[in-house]
Amino acid sequence: MISAATLALVREWMPELIVAAGYTLRMAVLAYGLGLVAGLLVALGEMSRRRWLSRACRVYIEFIRGTPTLTQLFLIYFGLPSVGIVLPSFAAAVVALGLHYAAYMAEIYRAGIAAVDQGQGEAASAIGMSRAEAMRHIVLPQAIRIIVPPLANNAVALLKDTSVASLIAAPELMMRADDITSEFYMPMQVYCLAGVMYFIMAFPLSLGARWLERAMARSRIRARRA
Amino acid sequence: MSTQWLRFVDRFPHIIGLLLTGAVVTVIVTAGAFVVSVLLGLAFAGFRTSDSRLLRALAHAYVEVFRSVPVLTQLFIVYFGLAALGIRLSPLPAAVVGFGLNGGAYLTEVFRAGIEAVARGQTEAALSIGMTKLTALRVIVLPQATRIVIPALANFAIGLLKDTSLASAVAAPELSFNANMLVKETYLSTQIYMSVAAIYLGLSLPLSALSRALERRGARGSRA
Repeated sequence: MISAATLALVREWMPELIVAAGYTLRMAVLAYGLGLVAGLLVALGEMSRRRWLSRACRVYIEFIRGTPTLTQLFLIYFGLPSVGIVLPSFAAAVVALGLHYAAYMAEIYRAGIAAVDQGQGEAASAIGMSRAEAMRHIVLPQAIRIIVPPLANNAVALLKDTSVASLIAAPELMMRADDITSEFYMPMQVYCLAGVMYFIMAFPLSLGARWLERAMARSRIRARRA
Repeated sequence: MSTQWLRFVDRFPHIIGLLLTGAVVTVIVTAGAFVVSVLLGLAFAGFRTSDSRLLRALAHAYVEVFRSVPVLTQLFIVYFGLAALGIRLSPLPAAVVGFGLNGGAYLTEVFRAGIEAVARGQTEAALSIGMTKLTALRVIVLPQATRIVIPALANFAIGLLKDTSLASAVAAPELSFNANMLVKETYLSTQIYMSVAAIYLGLSLPLSALSRALERRGARGSRA
C-alpha cells in the first residue's frame, strides 16, 4: 500500500491538500465568528421579556438542533435561490455552519448566564444599572468562565463539520480530497491523508479545549474561596 | 414561488412516499450504527479501564483518532477506501460500520466516565467477597453505571440520527439521499428540504423528550 510510487504521489498531493486545509480553517473561523455573535443574540432574545421574541428564539434552537447540518446546508444552498438569494458554495457553508452552531452556542450562553447568581443582576439594578448594562458589565464577565470551555469544544466539532461543505462543492479539504481521488483513484490513501490533516488541526484544538476546561474549573474554585 | 408550492402539492403523495421510505432506512442505519457503537464502546471502555498498559494505550489512540477526524472522512475511508483494496461494502453496511466506528469512540468515553463514576468501594467489596474482576464489572459496576450513562446514550442517538444524513454521500438510500433524488427530479428544493427537516424533527423531538425524561428520572434515582 505504501510504496515509493505512492510516496511520490503523496508529495504531489500535499501542497494542494495544505492549501485546501487553509480554506477549511478559514471556513471554520468565519462560521465560528458568525456563530458566536448570532448565538449571543439568540440567547439574549430567548431571555427577553418579549414573549414572541423569546418563543421565536426557542423555536429556532429546537429546529436547528432537531435537523441535520446537511439539510440546513442544502436549504441555504439549494433552497434560497428560489427566493432570489444565491450564495456561492463557500459563503453558503459559512452561513449554514454559523447559523447551525449559533443554536448550540445560544444554549451554552444561556446556561452560563443562568449560572451567575441572581443577586448579581439584582444588585446591579439596585445601583441604577439598566438590564442591558447589568448584563454587559456584571453578568456576562462572570458567565465567561462557564461559557468558554464548551465553546472551545464547539470549535473542534465545527472544524470537523466543515467537511460537510464538500457535498455542495465548497472549496475545502474534503472537497479537494474528493477531486484527487477521482483523478488518481486511490481513495484509501487520499482520504487517510485528509484524515491525518484533520487530526493535525483538530487534536491540538481539543487538547486546548480540555486544558481550558481544567483551568476554568480551577479559577472558579479560587473565585469561590476568595 | 407560489407555482412551486402548487407543483409541490400536486406531487405530494409521490414525494412524501419516497421521503418516508427513506426515513425508514434512516432509522435502520441509525439503529444498526447505534448497536455497533455500543458494542465497540463497551469493549474499548473495558480496555481503557484495564490493567494492561497496551490495551489502555490502544483504546486511548482509538478514541483520540476517531474523535479528531470528521465522520464524513471516516465514512469515505470505509466505503471508497476499502473498496479500492477489494473489500466492497454496499452503502448500507458501510454506513453502519462507518458511523459505528465513529460512535464507538464517543461511547468509549461515555462508558468510561460511567464506570469511573461508580464508587471504587463497590468493586473492592465485590472482589473481597471472592468475585473475579470480570464478574464484579458485570454484576456490580455495569448495572450502576448504566443508570449514569443512559441520558448520554439518548443524546448520542439523537446526534447519530442526524449524522446518518451524510450516508447520502455514499448513496445509501436513506431520507437525505431520496430527497436529493427528488430535488433533481422536480427542482422543488425548498419544499423538499423543508419536508425533510420536518421528518427529521418528527424523529428527533420524541427522542430528545425521552432523553430529558430519562435525565430527570436518573437525577431522582441517584438521590435515592
